Amino acid sequence: MAKARAIVKRLKAVKNIRKITRTMELIATARFKKAMDRATEAAAYTKKISEIVADLSATNLTFTHPLLKAHETQTNGILLVLTSNRGLCGGYNGAVLRPALARQKELTGPLNLSVECSGRRGLAFLKYQQVNVTEQFTNFEDKPSYDEVEAIANRYIELYCSGKLDRLDIAYTKFESVSRQKAVVETLLPIGSIGGAADSTATEKKIDYEFLPSAGEILEEIVPAAFKARLFKCFLDAAVSEQIARRVAMKAATENAGDMIKSLSMQYNRARQSQITSELSEIIGGAAALEA
Amino acid sequence: MADKQLQLVIVTPERTVFDEPASALRFPLFDGQIGILPGRAPLVGRLGYGELKATTASGEKSFFIDGGFVQVKGAVVSILTARAIPTAEVKRSDAEEALKKASALPGTTEQQAATKAREIERARRLLTLAH
Repeated sequence: MAKARAIVKRLKAVKNIRKITRTMELIATARFKKAMDRATEAAAYTKKISEIVADLSATNLTFTHPLLKAHETQTNGILLVLTSNRGLCGGYNGAVLRPALARQKELTGPLNLSVECSGRRGLAFLKYQQVNVTEQFTNFEDKPSYDEVEAIANRYIELYCSGKLDRLDIAYTKFESVSRQKAVVETLLPIGSIGGAADSTATEKKIDYEFLPSAGEILEEIVPAAFKARLFKCFLDAAVSEQIARRVAMKAATENAGDMIKSLSMQYNRARQSQITSELSEIIGGAAALEA
Repeated sequence: MADKQLQLVIVTPERTVFDEPASALRFPLFDGQIGILPGRAPLVGRLGYGELKATTASGEKSFFIDGGFVQVKGAVVSILTARAIPTAEVKRSDAEEALKKASALPGTTEQQAATKAREIERARRLLTLAH
């Protein structure tokens, strides 16, 4: 009897866990949809920015801006790592932190590198690895707001323009499609190119724009805007990918719990059956002994 | 067939705030107000801070816009700005706080002074719209 009891107890526990993981999966799905909507809405801005940049480049302007120019001597660098605040999202954080740590090791020698990290998970990991984190953010949940990201972006722009920063790398999970997210480390500063859509102008009819004030001055303003939009997109991508990772992890957990329930109830039934059989044979054995 | 209507699109980094036809627009450029009527020649411009007024079929619409860019292309007017707040939602207390913060900025170097002047300008514009 003792064995059957123990199995019943385990069965109950696993059923509870399945309920919890199932709920978490549903929550992650809902959050993912919201985050996804935000990301698609935000894409309109980036698209417009690159459209204007394409218009500007059509005027044969030479792009010169402090943010576009690589500094001659590379001494100071920042590595920004975007992770999640909460766990239970499968390999999401590990996938970001692995390449991030590799990049950190690679850059620490030649550069005076400081590491900045968003998300409690990443902070805990870096602390364990004894990496000194100079700036930490835990205020980004599944809905990063532009105001908060802009504040960070402004600081980077100021540091870069004043020469106190020569390189900015960011490690985050890039959202490619609903079924594909990739952890990447990218260099945001100096900005390689702000175009992206610049080559599509050839097919379009060229429009003669009037520039107010001048193309050059607009460019001067649009470069920081493009940088901010890009940084914001990184945060949005990370948020969407986190929810996807959590949904996948919780789905797998729910399925595993289901399998476990199946095998446990089978074990329980077998234990019960063998118990009944042994009781019966005891009774029959006892009766036979009385008759003889 | 001249376009009798403009399509006004206001986009912020977070979302598309407004996307409706309008018959006339007024908003601040970096050096002063500009008015746009249907049939405007293509234009790319830098925005200032202040009130954007649009005459639409459902009446007058008003937003506070926070710098950025404008692109006029055919009948589509795209406003790219960091923030677009409907004027009715601009709070006096927020505006006053912004002005206080702007006034407290350091202005010792040339660059800092420029930033400070810009922030103060922005806060003042916000204040005139606040209620």
